[in-house]
Amino acid sequence: MRHAHHRKVIKEKRPAKENIRTLKRIWAFLAEEKRRFLLVIGLVIVSSALSLLGPYLVGKAIDTIIAKTANGFMMIAGMLLVVYLALSLSLFWQNYWMIGIAQRTVSSLRLRLFEQFHQLPLAFFTRRQSGELMSRVTNDIDNMSQTFDSTAIQVVSSTLTLIGAIVVMLSLSPILTAVTLLIVPLLFGGMKWITNRTQPRFREQQQQLGDLNGFIEEVISGQKAIQLFAQEKEMIARFLQKNEQLKQAGFWAQAYSGFIPKLMNVLNNLSFALLAGIGGILAYEGMVSVGTIVIFTEYARQFIRPLNDLANQWNTLLSALAGAERVFAILDEQKEEEEEALDLPVIRGEVEFQHVSFSYDQAKEVLHNVDFSVKQGETVALVGPTGAGKTTILQLLTRFYDPTKGKILIDGHDILHIKRESLRRQMAFVLQDVFLFQGTIRENIRYGRLEATDEEVVEAAKQANAHSFIMKLPNGYDTMLQQDGGGISQGQKQLLAIARAMIARPAILILDEATSNVDTVTELAIQEALTRLMNNRTCFVIAHRLNTIQHADRILVLREGTVVEQGTHDSLLQAKGFYYELYHRQFQEVS
Amino acid sequence: MWRVLSLLKPYRKWMGIAWFLMLIELIVELWQPLLMEKIINEGIIKNHFPVIWKWGAVMIIASLLAFAAGITNSFAAAYVGQQFGFDVRKRLFMKIQSCSLPQVEQFSTASLITRMTNDVTQMQNMVFMSLRIMLRAPLLIIFGMVMALIVQARLAFILVVIVPFLLLFLIWAMKKAAERFSRVQQALDRVNRIMRENMANMRLIKAFVRSTYEQQCFRNENETLMAQTMTVSRFVEAITPALLFFMNVAIVVILFIGRKEIPTGGVNAGEVVAVINYTTRMTAALSIFTFVTMVFSRARASGRRIAELLKMPTNTKEKTHHAMITRGELEFVHVSFRYPASESFVLRDVSFSVRENETVAILGETGAGKSSLLQLIPRLYEVTEGTIFIDGIDVRHWDEATLRASIGFVPQELLLFSGTIRENICFGRNVSEEEMIQAAKAAQIHDAIMSFPNQYDTIVGQKGVTLSGGQKQRIAIARALIRKPKLLLLDDCMSALDAKTEANVWRALKAYDCTTLIVTQKITTAIEADTILLFKDGKLLAKGTHQQLLNNELYRQIVQSQLGKKGMSYAPRTP
Repeated sequence: MRHAHHRKVIKEKRPAKENIRTLKRIWAFLAEEKRRFLLVIGLVIVSSALSLLGPYLVGKAIDTIIAKTANGFMMIAGMLLVVYLALSLSLFWQNYWMIGIAQRTVSSLRLRLFEQFHQLPLAFFTRRQSGELMSRVTNDIDNMSQTFDSTAIQVVSSTLTLIGAIVVMLSLSPILTAVTLLIVPLLFGGMKWITNRTQPRFREQQQQLGDLNGFIEEVISGQKAIQLFAQEKEMIARFLQKNEQLKQAGFWAQAYSGFIPKLMNVLNNLSFALLAGIGGILAYEGMVSVGTIVIFTEYARQFIRPLNDLANQWNTLLSALAGAERVFAILDEQKEEEEEALDLPVIRGEVEFQHVSFSYDQAKEVLHNVDFSVKQGETVALVGPTGAGKTTILQLLTRFYDPTKGKILIDGHDILHIKRESLRRQMAFVLQDVFLFQGTIRENIRYGRLEATDEEVVEAAKQANAHSFIMKLPNGYDTMLQQDGGGISQGQKQLLAIARAMIARPAILILDEATSNVDTVTELAIQEALTRLMNNRTCFVIAHRLNTIQHADRILVLREGTVVEQGTHDSLLQAKGFYYELYHRQFQEVS
Repeated sequence: MWRVLSLLKPYRKWMGIAWFLMLIELIVELWQPLLMEKIINEGIIKNHFPVIWKWGAVMIIASLLAFAAGITNSFAAAYVGQQFGFDVRKRLFMKIQSCSLPQVEQFSTASLITRMTNDVTQMQNMVFMSLRIMLRAPLLIIFGMVMALIVQARLAFILVVIVPFLLLFLIWAMKKAAERFSRVQQALDRVNRIMRENMANMRLIKAFVRSTYEQQCFRNENETLMAQTMTVSRFVEAITPALLFFMNVAIVVILFIGRKEIPTGGVNAGEVVAVINYTTRMTAALSIFTFVTMVFSRARASGRRIAELLKMPTNTKEKTHHAMITRGELEFVHVSFRYPASESFVLRDVSFSVRENETVAILGETGAGKSSLLQLIPRLYEVTEGTIFIDGIDVRHWDEATLRASIGFVPQELLLFSGTIRENICFGRNVSEEEMIQAAKAAQIHDAIMSFPNQYDTIVGQKGVTLSGGQKQRIAIARALIRKPKLLLLDDCMSALDAKTEANVWRALKAYDCTTLIVTQKITTAIEADTILLFKDGKLLAKGTHQQLLNNELYRQIVQSQLGKKGMSYAPRTP
């Protein structure tokens, strides 16, 4: 029991510190706009003064009317118009600049987040749902965006009014000021009670929203499988569950934050009643004049209103902070470390694996003591049963992961000391899962080398045997691919991926199941083109259809993470080892 | 937007309650200054304590009443708002689930997600807002106007002129802002799209060292989003100073009238002060209006985007045939097909028939229409011309759910969902542990699963462990087999399996009593089929057994590409 209580206290104390830290970080972002921000604050002061000046001049004007001093009135009316115009203008400009500051800040935060995603290791993404991450860029930041526009101005102007009101109140009557301030502890207590309830809910709401976003993204991406297996009802049921959780969090957050203005209203009335009651007694005792009480009640209202605004703003801010925390959580993720790494000079493409072992999770070694070397211009095929570690070898070569033991050398450079980008820039890839972007076919091919000319794009497409199908499309190379490369077949996507790799003219080419969905006649044509093109370039190929790799200069045969044989197709067949077995099985597979 | 708002109907009662409570609060609020005046004039100034106590008590009771009303209103409004959001999201999700694939594909995934989350939030904010403060603004304005007119109509007439004009201006501004807000939402869609693509393609981006390029693309869209948001926010925020200015000019006009009328005795100074006081209050109410305008116009833009989805027609045609597939006979009669968004035909005049328990291999060039053909059978897409019969019944007459329930489909794309392996294999089917293991064994994935620490309860998909392509393919095969289908459709789904595993899968499949259609690139697979269908450019070029097709030029090319010259004499081992 005691333990539980203790924990609760810690839980309640933590947010305050965290809020301040989060606010500081947001301020650090805002600070890039310090000058403009000061300008806005200046304008807020001006407009606050002007809005006080207006009623004063109105009072003067009425005095002149009563006093029938005609000339004075015209001048005051003129001044009044000027004041009003200046007021509106200063309000306009402070809004105008503040929106600029807020939106630029939010936008730079969004960009920072996006850039951070690019600096995180791939392993980060395997643990997360992409839709959930997307939610941070849109929903969470949008939540902040809608708050910051108004909050800063409101906070400044409310604080100013508050200070002004207190100064005037003190000068009128310190006793009555004390009476008015009696409600402040109540106010703080109430606010604390409310925010203790709203803040966890705001957090939960944003988290549930992210969760829902992730779920929707996955479902819509897999809509085909859902329809095929008639799982619509099941998905709806799962959706409703998440939807319900979001609703619950949202309901309590919204309901509790709705208490704030109500609380303020009651306190306002309470303070008035106190003033009237205590003030009456004091007046009776002759300690204050009746006139002072009357004026004082007016100022007490002036005192409560900004407090109310501040309370509301604080609450909105808390909701924005819930989003900000989620954004900062990503910014705090460990980046892919890049210490003392060098740029790789232009390479010939010699690759050497020295006793390389690797495991993804410490538990199970995927590669054991892999040792081989590849000369410039060699085509090396990696062969072996599913799960033998073929793709893993390529993941290490490209430094998506680093070996647990052993070394990998390229042209004699240990790749651990080479910048990942610099290493990959001299390689080109066709990966197992083909990724295409929404955009034209031309753009997708050019992705391999951004400065390639249109002619080079066509040339690469021809070599990948993609040209003829592209020309059959209504807009040829300018055909827009829908999202996820929709609109063309899986095999055609692979052809485009090959064209994309060909245009890159790399020193090392990596083909991981590059033609698995391509018909074999086309595949042969691609291979011929590759042989021509890859002259002098090192090439790594993974393929299950062994006829694809028969002409490789060297075949590495893998089994359970170990290289069991290597040699040419013919020498391996003669050896009658594991490769021989694999090869012959291919022609007996249906038996 | 009205279409979306009509979802509020079930909550009419609660909305009524919320509005009623808001009204109580408002009445108390408007009454308070009068009470204060009484306390000051009759109590404090005259030093009359009983009056102070009496009216003070009344005031506190009234404000406690308002407090209670306000708190209850807060609950009611939050209830309606959240329930409404819940319902809209639910409707949207159910709509998407009931739409056909081509209908869903019209929208980008990113846009569908924004619509279901961000756009719904905007609508929800509006509903909540309207239950909390919407009545306040018009009531305060009407009240102020009436009071001003009662005090002195000659002074207040300027308000009667200017206020309706300002309201019209607000309505215009709201429409304008709504247009701009819809541009903001579109920009948000694009930002979301780039995000999604980057998330999915991070490996490729890193492999090609395109982070800088992608960041540039993102920067552009991000800047558009920022610019659009700034434009509309600045537009909306400009309304307040403008309104304020007009109302302030009205005050000056009132002063002028006062100056003219006071000497003649038509108006007295107190009335001028009072009318000006009411004008100031109305100005405050108008600025609430501006805020409401902002929320409304944003909601309006979002409402339109939501309605666009909700009004998509769903196929409600009553299906006559509800039975499961019993035999698994399949017939294509002059089937032609093109994707709804495209002009060129993917399949042209395809006719063939498949007998019960027959195994048919579909072979052809990349892009010949093989996958499209398979997708037509469970009606993921509708044929453009011609008819497909299953067990002699036009597929269009089958109830989709029952039709698909007896088809086992393994798509080419590797689509698994976040969840355990068990959930992915069973995928909504209530089957025994043994049945699941049997399917997994047939798909040759059981041993691999058992080697994971959590075995069948290993989490896979976006949030789980990374499976190799071959493992994913085999889970997808198990997912199809567990339903004991009468019609098994395999879309080149063993490309990542090594020969031994593939042969084992084939051997296990023999035990399943079903008609099988398999799209494949491997000639050795095709040879084993009862019939081979050879496609080129969407046309059925030839059909027959391996021996029969050897006369065909294209077929010979395919065989040679894989088996070399000796392939010509290659014969299946099991006749």
